[in-house]
Amino acid sequence: MSETLLEVRNLKTWFETPKGTVKAVDGVDLTLNRGEILGLVGESGSGKSITGFSLLGLVDPPGKVVEGSILFKGEDLRAASVRRLQALRGDRIAMIFQDPMMTLNPVLRIGTQMIETVRAHAKVSKDEARAMARDALGMVGIPRPEERIDAYPHEFSGGMRQRVAIAIALLHKPDLIIADEPTTALDVTIQSQILSEVQKLTREMGMGLIWISHDLGVVAELAQNVAVMYAGRIVERGTVDQVLDTPMHPYTRGLIDSLPMENDRGQPLKQIPGNAPPPLGRPKGCPFRPRCGFATDACLSEPSETGDLSRGWRCFHPLAQEVSA
Amino acid sequence: MNQPLIKVDTVTKHFVRKTDVAERIAIRAGLAEEPKIVHALDEVSLEIAKGEVVGLVGESGCGKSTLGRVVAGMLPVTAGSVARDGQDIATLKGRAAKDNRLATQIIFQDPMSSLNPRKKVGEIIGEAPRLHGIVPRGEVPALVEKLMGQVGLDPAMVNRYPHQFSGGQRQRIGIARALAVNPDFLVCDESIAALDVSIQAQVINLLVQLKQDLGLTLLFISHDLSVVRYISDRVVIMYLGRVVESAPTHQIFDRPRHPYTQALLEEIPRIDRRGHRFNTVKGEIPSPVNPPKGCHFHPRCPFAMDICRQERPPLVTAETGHTVACHLNGGAGHLPATTQQQTQQGVSS
Ligand SMILES: Nc1ncnc2c1ncn2[C@@H]1O[C@H](COP(=O)(O)OP(=O)(O)OP(=O)(O)O)[C@@H](O)[C@H]1O
Ligand SMILES: Nc1ncnc2c1ncn2[C@@H]1O[C@H](COP(=O)(O)OP(=O)(O)O)[C@@H](O)[C@H]1O
Ligand code: SF4
Ligand code: SF4
Ligand SMILES: [Mg+2]
Ligand SMILES: [Mg+2]
Repeated sequence: MSETLLEVRNLKTWFETPKGTVKAVDGVDLTLNRGEILGLVGESGSGKSITGFSLLGLVDPPGKVVEGSILFKGEDLRAASVRRLQALRGDRIAMIFQDPMMTLNPVLRIGTQMIETVRAHAKVSKDEARAMARDALGMVGIPRPEERIDAYPHEFSGGMRQRVAIAIALLHKPDLIIADEPTTALDVTIQSQILSEVQKLTREMGMGLIWISHDLGVVAELAQNVAVMYAGRIVERGTVDQVLDTPMHPYTRGLIDSLPMENDRGQPLKQIPGNAPPPLGRPKGCPFRPRCGFATDACLSEPSETGDLSRGWRCFHPLAQEVSA
Repeated sequence: MNQPLIKVDTVTKHFVRKTDVAERIAIRAGLAEEPKIVHALDEVSLEIAKGEVVGLVGESGCGKSTLGRVVAGMLPVTAGSVARDGQDIATLKGRAAKDNRLATQIIFQDPMSSLNPRKKVGEIIGEAPRLHGIVPRGEVPALVEKLMGQVGLDPAMVNRYPHQFSGGQRQRIGIARALAVNPDFLVCDESIAALDVSIQAQVINLLVQLKQDLGLTLLFISHDLSVVRYISDRVVIMYLGRVVESAPTHQIFDRPRHPYTQALLEEIPRIDRRGHRFNTVKGEIPSPVNPPKGCHFHPRCPFAMDICRQERPPLVTAETGHTVACHLNGGAGHLPATTQQQTQQGVSS
């Protein structure tokens, strides 16, 4: 029943810069099924956004997908023409950005923009397109969509603009949505409204959703599966329960432990020492080694992935023995 | 109670409204009107005791930073007063005014934008002590070295520029710079928000350590309630320019009384909650240019009554140390059903 939507294998996206090659994404594997929400977490610079852009063919020079395959419903997107990718974007695959103004044009009424988007991908009349736009606005919880459709972006609050951007992403009922920290800049109660809509829509429409975030709490509540990125690679993956309850990678464990919990008051928080390595100064072997309390000489070579695409990790000294169900 | 270190008394602050990019373009294109008055703070009162850590929480634009800057004396008030050690800071002159300014320091969210990119770290940290004669000139380098050690920066990096540091290290530079003038009160305005999760814990631990070592008082502004719960002795919740609730930390988390606080606590994403069905407060946050009449929360409040649409609920003491501004239950606010049941069970058993 779970139909595979997206299969990414050994994706590498590199930037040739005067100072050297930035390996922003360096061998990423991903699988996503219909109706699945995958949380992609990691600290800034770990390669989350570039992974998302790579899937859509939106990496700007000097960046380039240098290796790997991206299969979307069986179609090889790396081999697809620019025109084919344009046709897919906004139709079968949509992206939602952290800043909704990346999607919205400030001097156009949102209805105008939405009608344009509809008609770019479907042969429908203006009236039909307008009706579709209005329905999409209603779907993301914009009150009185038939009135608000004629408003300009500045007449909406930040949270409402993000909903409009989501409505635009939903116009063609895409199969896949890649959402890059779309609620990070929003307030908690507004974030919660948007998460609620997104959750409902994936359930009802059977879309696949990749939700990029650095907030483990959001991912825990929203997603079924999670992939943790560090220095351009996925270092741990599994169901939310597996990854958050029995993390195998010391970095995942460190992230979870460093969150202040109810009973931590009065004692120092467990912290991960040091900083993420700069993209051009990654250490040899396991990139987490300088910050890892479990490192041994074995970690001077690179750990490959243990497990499979549903549950796996990259570490020579995984923490727990997986509790088998 | 002893005299509070800081007493904010019925402070109101108005601004002429700032516009964002979308609006500026719209104004230029003739699609929007020119800005109006923003009610950033609307009769806010607050006391901070010496040595206390007060967490200040609220949604974007509700006036947290404005209150922080008012408390630090960086921003004049429209009405009301701010007193430090019982003295209205607006009446301070000369030496006393300067001492007051130095005694309160703000640590901002984005360390990069508050650090001069063309100055070396040593100059950034040593600038204020040199300027204000905190120590004799010759001793400034030693002071810088001490401060860098105190915030966990390698003093060998004294000649580097801000861009050569990571985000967490830059925040440490900002903290060292603030400490350089011997403040006794720090306003931390979203000081960890821009940092990665793995770095946040480092900076929080540092702030707690410094607070203990130096006997500091903190006003900790944040939208991250789990961090606020960890660090604060008392939590103050703001909504649209007003304080709506204030209580000791455990009390506000165990028994929040304001419907807004309750909604906020319910919606904080938690890693121990899976597949949550989000069930949310409806509606947008109203604009502070045009706040609703009566209780500012009434358009979104599930319990709103007629009086809420007409009259502002006063901030009253509902139980010891716990104040709330809500018309429910004669001004005591709303207690969730579970708590009421527990209380009843407690009484009957
Ligand atoms: N210098 C200014 N000029 C005009 N308006 C301002 C100015 N500073 C703040 N405001 C407005 O006053 C209100 C309160 O702003 P403030 O910065 O205190 O909010 P905040 O609670 O700190 O929000 P955030 O969580 O986004 O930092 C907002 O509507 C803001 O746009
Ligand atoms: N245009 C560019 N030129 C060089 N390096 C880049 C460029 N864009 C991104 N990078 C680098 O790629 C890495 C991954 O970036 P990104 O995917 O944006 O991280 P994340 O979204 O996880 O914060 C970072 O080290 C970043 O500095
Ligand atoms: S491979 Fe070694 S250094 Fe890397 S995370 Fe595992 S134990 Fe730590
Ligand atoms: S005063 Fe009325 S509207 Fe305001 S929070 Fe209380 S019940 Fe809700
Ligand atoms: Mg990113
Ligand atoms: Mg602020």
